[in-house]
Amino acid sequence: MIDWPLAIVLFGGGPAFLIAAVALVRRSERRLGTGPDEFGPPVTPGQTGAVEISAYLHRMSTELRLPAADVAEVRAELADHLRDSIASLEAEGFELDRAIGEALGRLGPPAELGRQLRAAHQSTRRLLAGAGGGVFAAGGGFVLGYLGGSVLALLGFVAVAAVVALLGLVGVRLPDITSHDDGNTINSLLYVTAVAVAAATATRYAVRTSAGLSRRAPRTVAIFWAVGGALVFGWLAIFGMRGPQSWLSVAVELCVPVVAVASAFVRIERPMPHVGRWALIVGLSAVAVMVLALGLFAGVSTSGGAGTPQVAEFQMSDLHLDTVAPMAPTTWLPEGTITGGGWGSDPASGGTSVGDTIARPLSNWTDVRFEAWHALPMDAASPGGIDTRYSAPFEVQPGILNGNDLTAVFHFERLRDAGPWWVVLTAVGPDGHRYRLDNGGGGESYFSGSAWDWLTAPQ
Amino acid sequence: MSDRIRTQLLKGTTTLLVLTVLHDGELYGYEIAQRIRERSGGAFVPSEGSLYPALHALEADGALQASWRESNRGPRRRYYKITKTGLGMLEAHAQEWAAFSVGMARAVGGANQR
Repeated sequence: MIDWPLAIVLFGGGPAFLIAAVALVRRSERRLGTGPDEFGPPVTPGQTGAVEISAYLHRMSTELRLPAADVAEVRAELADHLRDSIASLEAEGFELDRAIGEALGRLGPPAELGRQLRAAHQSTRRLLAGAGGGVFAAGGGFVLGYLGGSVLALLGFVAVAAVVALLGLVGVRLPDITSHDDGNTINSLLYVTAVAVAAATATRYAVRTSAGLSRRAPRTVAIFWAVGGALVFGWLAIFGMRGPQSWLSVAVELCVPVVAVASAFVRIERPMPHVGRWALIVGLSAVAVMVLALGLFAGVSTSGGAGTPQVAEFQMSDLHLDTVAPMAPTTWLPEGTITGGGWGSDPASGGTSVGDTIARPLSNWTDVRFEAWHALPMDAASPGGIDTRYSAPFEVQPGILNGNDLTAVFHFERLRDAGPWWVVLTAVGPDGHRYRLDNGGGGESYFSGSAWDWLTAPQ
Repeated sequence: MSDRIRTQLLKGTTTLLVLTVLHDGELYGYEIAQRIRERSGGAFVPSEGSLYPALHALEADGALQASWRESNRGPRRRYYKITKTGLGMLEAHAQEWAAFSVGMARAVGGANQR
């Protein structure tokens, strides 16, 4: 069944919005791109009264603070006027010098004329149009920038993966800059790069559009959009962008608002690069190369290690569970008391839920709790189990009995360095010593959250 | 009439004068000033310093449309054309001015009669 409203929004509204945004930017930035060249210099050197007229126009222009095209038009129009006026005064019998002085005098003080012309151009209506148009263009710019940034990021990813794979072949291992999420190796930088390009495009589109529509100099308008960009993208970078994190990804995320602010100022008068046929061809080729490369490099992480199978058979002693506590004597914990156990994702909190099924009451046992220990990674060389470098669990949760289920929820995803873990159920026996009630189980979790979560996460 | 009094009287009438002369056809800035002077028999000579801000403000309000093109003599010039909005504005200003001038004539005439 086709969801028509969604289909119309995605395939009709989306492209229409982008086309409208780009058209608005192109139309607005014509005011910025055309300088004096289109009209020629308003005063030709050697022309009658060139020095005086140039000085007058220069002084007037300093008060205009309009986009380049408007400044050029005003200067050309007033230069025309002065030429006519001087010619007319000469025809009336004025000496040339007096005619120039009289013509300039009739226009009044240049600074005052510049201020009046600026006020005439910068109406409230145009200011509102500039603000609204800027917001609209920023939205379109963000979407376009995100698409373009994604292609750039993927190209970069493919290039880095290829280099790292080649270095891995010759035995050079690079630091692991990847993060993990549910077993899939992903590069947080892909997302951040796309957002950074989107932020830059959005801010730039906003400044150029609002400057053109409001008839204000881009640098004047840029201040407001830079503040807006810093707030919006600052919030996004610190609180909004969630996912696997590392120091590198947090540092790059915090660059997003900096990129947005810089894009509002750096060469803002220069036109945006035109996305032509070749750019589209390169973009599509990049996607094709990426798909091919991902296929070729499947299973190769950017740290250079290849995916390996888990150990098929192992001894219980290989898990080093006695590091946690000795197993409870069967006299105190008859066989069949705990009939099963396991762990999974807790849908309510996003954490990791662990639990055991208790067939008989745990009489004479106190302080029943789940202990999370740092563990060895499960790979071809190790079945996992307790990492014996640690002598205490890194997190403890009391077991909550609900019917026959004894459960607890851990938030390994909020710990920076949880990595491989092993959770064991323990309790204090009748002799006052702590014992292990099961052999537990292990998994692997990596941090997931915002930059703020990362910065404030417990070590 | 002294220049000072003329300047005071002209304040606020530049818009009406500009729209009136442009009602007859497209003109560029200098021509507009000349046309106002001719039509008023030299009674009104708008300050050139206030003419261009007025023209640009009317353009910003949508009352005038400007375009650059070659003139019959000389270089490219910026011609102004009155728009539909401008025609509406002209009508409103003309009515206001008529009411104002009649009232002013009555008031000043009454004073002279005393």
